[in-house]
Amino acid sequence: MFEELSLHILDIAMNSLAANASKIEISVLENHQRDWLILRVRDNGRGMDAAALHRVLHHRATTKTLRKKNIGLGVALLRQTSEMCGGHFHIRSAPGQGTSVTASMRLSHIDRPALGDLNSSILAICAANPKVDVRLHYRTDKNQYHFSSHELAPKGESCP
Amino acid sequence: MNLEQLKQLKNKAQKQIALRESGKKYRVVVSMGTSGIAAGAREVMKTMLDEMEKRGIESVEVAVTGEIGMVDAEPVVRIEEAGGEKTTYAKVNPEVARKIVVEHLEKGKKVESVAVGKVKEQE
Repeated sequence: MFEELSLHILDIAMNSLAANASKIEISVLENHQRDWLILRVRDNGRGMDAAALHRVLHHRATTKTLRKKNIGLGVALLRQTSEMCGGHFHIRSAPGQGTSVTASMRLSHIDRPALGDLNSSILAICAANPKVDVRLHYRTDKNQYHFSSHELAPKGESCP
Repeated sequence: MNLEQLKQLKNKAQKQIALRESGKKYRVVVSMGTSGIAAGAREVMKTMLDEMEKRGIESVEVAVTGEIGMVDAEPVVRIEEAGGEKTTYAKVNPEVARKIVVEHLEKGKKVESVAVGKVKEQE
Protein backbone atom coordinates (compact mmCIF):
# COMPACT_ATOMS: atom_id res chain seq x y z
CA MET A 1 0.00 0.00 0.00
CA PHE A 2 1.29 3.43 -0.88
CA GLU A 3 1.41 6.06 1.80
CA GLU A 4 0.88 8.95 -0.57
CA LEU A 5 -1.51 9.46 -3.45
CA SER A 6 1.35 11.04 -5.40
CA LEU A 7 3.10 7.66 -5.34
CA HIS A 8 -0.01 6.14 -6.90
CA ILE A 9 0.15 8.80 -9.59
CA LEU A 10 3.80 8.03 -10.25
CA ASP A 11 3.05 4.33 -10.41
CA ILE A 12 0.20 4.73 -12.90
CA ALA A 13 2.26 7.15 -15.00
CA MET A 14 5.06 4.56 -15.15
CA ASN A 15 2.54 2.25 -16.83
CA SER A 16 1.92 5.01 -19.36
CA LEU A 17 5.65 5.24 -20.07
CA ALA A 18 5.80 1.48 -20.46
CA ALA A 19 2.99 1.78 -23.01
CA ASN A 20 5.14 4.17 -25.08
CA ALA A 21 3.01 7.21 -24.44
CA SER A 22 4.31 10.53 -25.75
CA LYS A 23 1.89 12.54 -23.69
CA ILE A 24 0.71 11.98 -20.13
CA GLU A 25 -1.97 14.18 -18.64
CA ILE A 26 -2.43 14.12 -14.89
CA SER A 27 -5.42 15.83 -13.32
CA VAL A 28 -6.02 16.36 -9.64
CA LEU A 29 -9.37 17.83 -8.74
CA GLU A 30 -10.16 18.84 -5.19
CA ASN A 31 -13.81 19.63 -4.75
CA HIS A 32 -14.30 20.64 -1.13
CA GLN A 33 -17.92 21.64 -1.63
CA ARG A 34 -18.95 18.19 -2.73
CA ASP A 35 -16.23 16.41 -0.80
CA TRP A 36 -14.52 14.72 -3.74
CA LEU A 37 -10.93 14.18 -4.69
CA ILE A 38 -10.56 12.98 -8.23
CA LEU A 39 -7.31 11.78 -9.78
CA ARG A 40 -6.98 11.08 -13.45
CA VAL A 41 -4.01 9.87 -15.50
CA ARG A 42 -4.58 9.89 -19.22
CA ASP A 43 -2.06 8.86 -21.86
CA ASN A 44 -1.82 8.28 -25.57
CA GLY A 45 0.05 4.99 -25.23
CA ARG A 46 -0.74 1.77 -26.96
CA GLY A 47 -3.77 0.98 -24.81
CA MET A 48 -5.12 -2.36 -23.66
CA ASP A 49 -7.66 -4.79 -25.01
CA ALA A 50 -10.52 -6.14 -22.91
CA ALA A 51 -8.56 -9.19 -21.75
CA ALA A 52 -5.61 -7.09 -20.54
CA LEU A 53 -7.97 -4.69 -18.78
CA HIS A 54 -9.60 -7.55 -16.97
CA ARG A 55 -6.18 -8.83 -15.88
CA VAL A 56 -4.92 -5.55 -14.45
CA LEU A 57 -8.12 -5.08 -12.49
CA HIS A 58 -8.57 -8.53 -11.09
CA HIS A 59 -5.10 -9.90 -10.53
CA ARG A 60 -4.77 -8.59 -7.06
CA ALA A 61 -3.99 -10.44 -3.86
CA THR A 62 -2.80 -13.58 -5.62
CA THR A 63 0.81 -14.60 -5.51
CA LYS A 64 2.30 -16.67 -8.27
CA THR A 65 0.35 -15.48 -11.28
CA LEU A 66 1.54 -11.97 -10.48
CA ARG A 67 4.98 -12.78 -11.73
CA LYS A 68 3.69 -12.98 -15.27
CA LYS A 69 5.22 -10.21 -17.26
CA ASN A 70 3.55 -6.81 -17.37
CA ILE A 71 0.88 -7.66 -14.86
CA GLY A 72 1.37 -5.96 -11.57
CA LEU A 73 -0.43 -4.68 -8.56
CA GLY A 74 -0.34 -0.96 -9.22
CA VAL A 75 -3.74 -0.49 -10.82
CA ALA A 76 -5.43 -2.84 -8.37
CA LEU A 77 -3.83 -0.98 -5.46
CA LEU A 78 -5.19 2.37 -6.63
CA ARG A 79 -8.60 0.81 -7.12
CA GLN A 80 -8.50 -0.54 -3.60
CA THR A 81 -7.52 2.85 -2.19
CA SER A 82 -10.30 4.70 -3.99
CA GLU A 83 -12.99 2.18 -3.12
CA MET A 84 -11.81 2.07 0.46
CA CYS A 85 -12.25 5.85 0.65
CA GLY A 86 -15.83 5.92 -0.57
CA GLY A 87 -14.99 6.57 -4.20
CA HIS A 88 -15.10 4.93 -7.58
CA PHE A 89 -12.48 3.59 -9.89
CA HIS A 90 -12.72 3.70 -13.62
CA ILE A 91 -10.37 2.71 -16.38
CA ARG A 92 -10.97 3.19 -20.05
CA SER A 93 -8.68 1.83 -22.69
CA ALA A 94 -8.63 0.34 -26.15
CA PRO A 95 -5.77 -0.81 -28.35
CA GLY A 96 -4.28 2.25 -30.06
CA GLN A 97 -6.54 4.62 -28.13
CA GLY A 98 -4.47 5.21 -25.03
CA THR A 99 -5.58 4.67 -21.47
CA SER A 100 -7.45 6.80 -18.99
CA VAL A 101 -7.44 5.89 -15.30
CA THR A 102 -9.79 7.76 -12.99
CA ALA A 103 -9.95 7.29 -9.25
CA SER A 104 -12.21 9.27 -6.99
CA MET A 105 -12.38 9.32 -3.22
CA ARG A 106 -14.03 11.24 -0.44
CA LEU A 107 -11.80 14.15 0.45
CA SER A 108 -12.77 13.92 4.10
CA HIS A 109 -12.55 10.13 4.37
CA ILE A 110 -10.45 9.16 7.36
CA ASP A 111 -8.52 6.55 5.37
CA ARG A 112 -7.71 8.81 2.46
CA PRO A 113 -3.92 9.06 2.08
CA ALA A 114 -2.43 12.51 1.79
CA LEU A 115 -1.57 13.71 -1.66
CA GLY A 116 2.07 13.88 -0.59
CA ASP A 117 5.02 15.09 -2.57
CA LEU A 118 3.42 15.58 -5.97
CA ASN A 119 6.41 17.64 -7.16
CA SER A 120 8.80 14.74 -6.73
CA SER A 121 6.47 12.42 -8.61
CA ILE A 122 6.21 14.83 -11.54
CA LEU A 123 9.99 15.29 -11.48
CA ALA A 124 10.52 11.53 -11.53
CA ILE A 125 8.17 11.08 -14.47
CA CYS A 126 9.87 13.90 -16.41
CA ALA A 127 13.33 12.55 -15.64
CA ALA A 128 12.31 9.01 -16.55
CA ASN A 129 11.69 10.04 -20.12
CA PRO A 130 12.46 13.65 -21.01
CA LYS A 131 10.84 13.30 -24.42
CA VAL A 132 7.39 12.71 -23.00
CA ASP A 133 5.09 15.68 -22.58
CA VAL A 134 3.97 15.51 -18.97
CA ARG A 135 1.08 17.76 -18.04
CA LEU A 136 -0.43 18.42 -14.67
CA HIS A 137 -3.75 20.10 -14.05
CA TYR A 138 -4.45 20.80 -10.42
CA ARG A 139 -7.78 22.32 -9.53
CA THR A 140 -9.32 23.23 -6.23
CA ASP A 141 -12.54 25.14 -5.53
CA LYS A 142 -10.77 28.46 -5.79
CA ASN A 143 -7.50 27.95 -7.57
CA GLN A 144 -5.98 26.08 -10.42
CA TYR A 145 -2.48 25.29 -11.52
CA HIS A 146 -1.20 23.97 -14.81
CA PHE A 147 2.17 22.55 -15.67
CA SER A 148 3.62 21.18 -18.86
CA SER A 149 7.09 19.72 -19.14
CA HIS A 150 7.33 20.87 -22.76
CA GLU A 151 6.85 24.48 -21.71
CA LEU A 152 9.90 24.21 -19.47
CA ALA A 153 12.15 23.04 -22.26
CA PRO A 154 13.72 25.51 -24.64
CA LYS A 155 12.47 25.04 -28.18
CA GLY A 156 14.04 22.08 -29.91
CA GLU A 157 15.37 20.60 -26.71
CA SER A 158 13.90 18.38 -24.08
CA CYS A 159 13.90 19.09 -20.39
CA PRO A 160 16.82 17.77 -18.28
CA MET B 1 25.59 -19.44 -32.17
CA ASN B 2 22.03 -19.13 -33.40
CA LEU B 3 19.98 -16.25 -34.73
CA GLU B 4 18.53 -15.38 -31.35
CA GLN B 5 21.96 -15.06 -29.77
CA LEU B 6 23.14 -12.93 -32.66
CA LYS B 7 20.18 -10.62 -32.16
CA GLN B 8 20.96 -10.33 -28.48
CA LEU B 9 24.56 -9.54 -29.25
CA LYS B 10 23.49 -6.87 -31.68
CA ASN B 11 21.14 -5.29 -29.16
CA LYS B 12 23.86 -5.29 -26.57
CA ALA B 13 26.32 -3.67 -28.93
CA GLN B 14 23.79 -1.05 -29.95
CA LYS B 15 23.16 -0.12 -26.34
CA GLN B 16 26.85 0.31 -25.63
CA ILE B 17 27.35 2.35 -28.77
CA ALA B 18 24.42 4.56 -27.85
CA LEU B 19 25.94 5.17 -24.43
CA ARG B 20 29.33 5.97 -25.94
CA GLU B 21 27.98 8.18 -28.68
CA SER B 22 25.87 10.20 -26.30
CA GLY B 23 29.16 11.04 -24.57
CA LYS B 24 27.87 9.75 -21.25
CA LYS B 25 30.11 7.74 -19.05
CA TYR B 26 27.44 6.12 -16.94
CA ARG B 27 23.83 5.20 -17.24
CA VAL B 28 21.91 5.02 -13.99
CA VAL B 29 18.79 2.87 -14.09
CA VAL B 30 16.38 3.16 -11.19
CA SER B 31 13.83 0.40 -10.78
CA MET B 32 10.54 2.27 -10.68
CA GLY B 33 7.95 -0.48 -10.65
CA THR B 34 5.21 -0.70 -8.05
CA SER B 35 7.45 -2.42 -5.53
CA GLY B 36 10.29 0.03 -6.16
CA ILE B 37 8.03 3.01 -5.66
CA ALA B 38 6.57 1.52 -2.49
CA ALA B 39 10.10 1.00 -1.15
CA GLY B 40 11.14 4.58 -1.84
CA ALA B 41 12.59 4.64 -5.37
CA ARG B 42 11.19 8.10 -5.97
CA GLU B 43 13.20 9.63 -3.13
CA VAL B 44 16.29 7.72 -4.23
CA MET B 45 16.01 9.05 -7.76
CA LYS B 46 15.36 12.57 -6.55
CA THR B 47 18.36 12.46 -4.22
CA MET B 48 20.61 11.23 -7.00
CA LEU B 49 19.40 13.93 -9.41
CA ASP B 50 19.86 16.59 -6.74
CA GLU B 51 23.33 15.38 -5.81
CA MET B 52 24.45 15.16 -9.43
CA GLU B 53 23.22 18.67 -10.08
CA LYS B 54 24.95 19.95 -6.98
CA ARG B 55 28.25 18.38 -8.02
CA GLY B 56 27.90 19.32 -11.66
CA ILE B 57 28.07 15.72 -12.86
CA GLU B 58 26.84 15.76 -16.44
CA SER B 59 28.28 12.59 -17.94
CA VAL B 60 25.49 10.48 -16.48
CA GLU B 61 22.25 9.46 -18.08
CA VAL B 62 19.39 8.66 -15.74
CA ALA B 63 16.69 6.22 -16.75
CA VAL B 64 14.03 4.08 -15.13
CA THR B 65 12.82 0.55 -15.59
CA GLY B 66 9.80 -1.38 -14.43
CA GLU B 67 9.70 -4.37 -12.14
CA ILE B 68 12.92 -6.35 -12.40
CA GLY B 69 12.01 -9.24 -10.14
CA MET B 70 14.06 -8.18 -7.13
CA VAL B 71 11.09 -7.11 -5.07
CA ASP B 72 12.65 -7.81 -1.68
CA ALA B 73 15.78 -5.86 -2.59
CA GLU B 74 14.06 -2.66 -3.71
CA PRO B 75 14.86 0.14 -4.23
CA VAL B 76 17.34 -1.14 -6.79
CA VAL B 77 19.73 1.08 -8.74
CA ARG B 78 21.81 -0.29 -11.60
CA ILE B 79 24.81 1.55 -12.96
CA GLU B 80 25.98 0.71 -16.45
CA GLU B 81 29.34 1.89 -17.63
CA ALA B 82 30.22 2.79 -21.18
CA GLY B 83 32.60 -0.17 -21.20
CA GLY B 84 29.72 -2.55 -20.56
CA GLU B 85 30.25 -3.19 -16.88
CA LYS B 86 27.15 -3.25 -14.71
CA THR B 87 26.82 -2.81 -10.99
CA THR B 88 23.58 -3.37 -9.13
CA TYR B 89 22.90 -1.74 -5.79
CA ALA B 90 20.12 -3.05 -3.59
CA LYS B 91 18.09 -1.61 -0.73
CA VAL B 92 19.23 1.87 -1.59
CA ASN B 93 18.06 4.74 0.57
CA PRO B 94 18.69 8.45 0.01
CA GLU B 95 21.84 8.32 2.11
CA VAL B 96 23.28 5.41 0.14
CA ALA B 97 22.16 7.07 -3.09
CA ARG B 98 24.22 10.12 -2.21
CA LYS B 99 27.20 7.88 -1.48
CA ILE B 100 26.80 6.15 -4.84
CA VAL B 101 26.86 9.48 -6.64
CA VAL B 102 29.96 10.65 -4.76
CA GLU B 103 31.92 7.39 -4.83
CA HIS B 104 30.84 5.65 -8.01
CA LEU B 105 29.72 8.36 -10.40
CA GLU B 106 32.23 10.99 -9.35
CA LYS B 107 35.28 9.01 -8.23
CA GLY B 108 34.62 5.82 -10.20
CA LYS B 109 34.87 3.67 -7.08
CA LYS B 110 32.16 1.09 -6.44
CA VAL B 111 30.29 1.11 -3.18
CA GLU B 112 30.94 -2.56 -2.45
CA SER B 113 28.92 -2.67 0.76
CA VAL B 114 25.58 -2.34 -1.05
CA ALA B 115 26.48 -3.87 -4.40
CA VAL B 116 24.76 -7.17 -5.08
CA GLY B 117 26.16 -8.26 -8.40
CA LYS B 118 28.61 -7.20 -10.99
CA VAL B 119 28.40 -8.46 -14.52
CA LYS B 120 31.38 -7.90 -16.73
CA GLU B 121 29.98 -8.32 -20.19
CA GLN B 122 32.04 -10.36 -22.56
CA GLU B 123 33.53 -8.48 -25.42
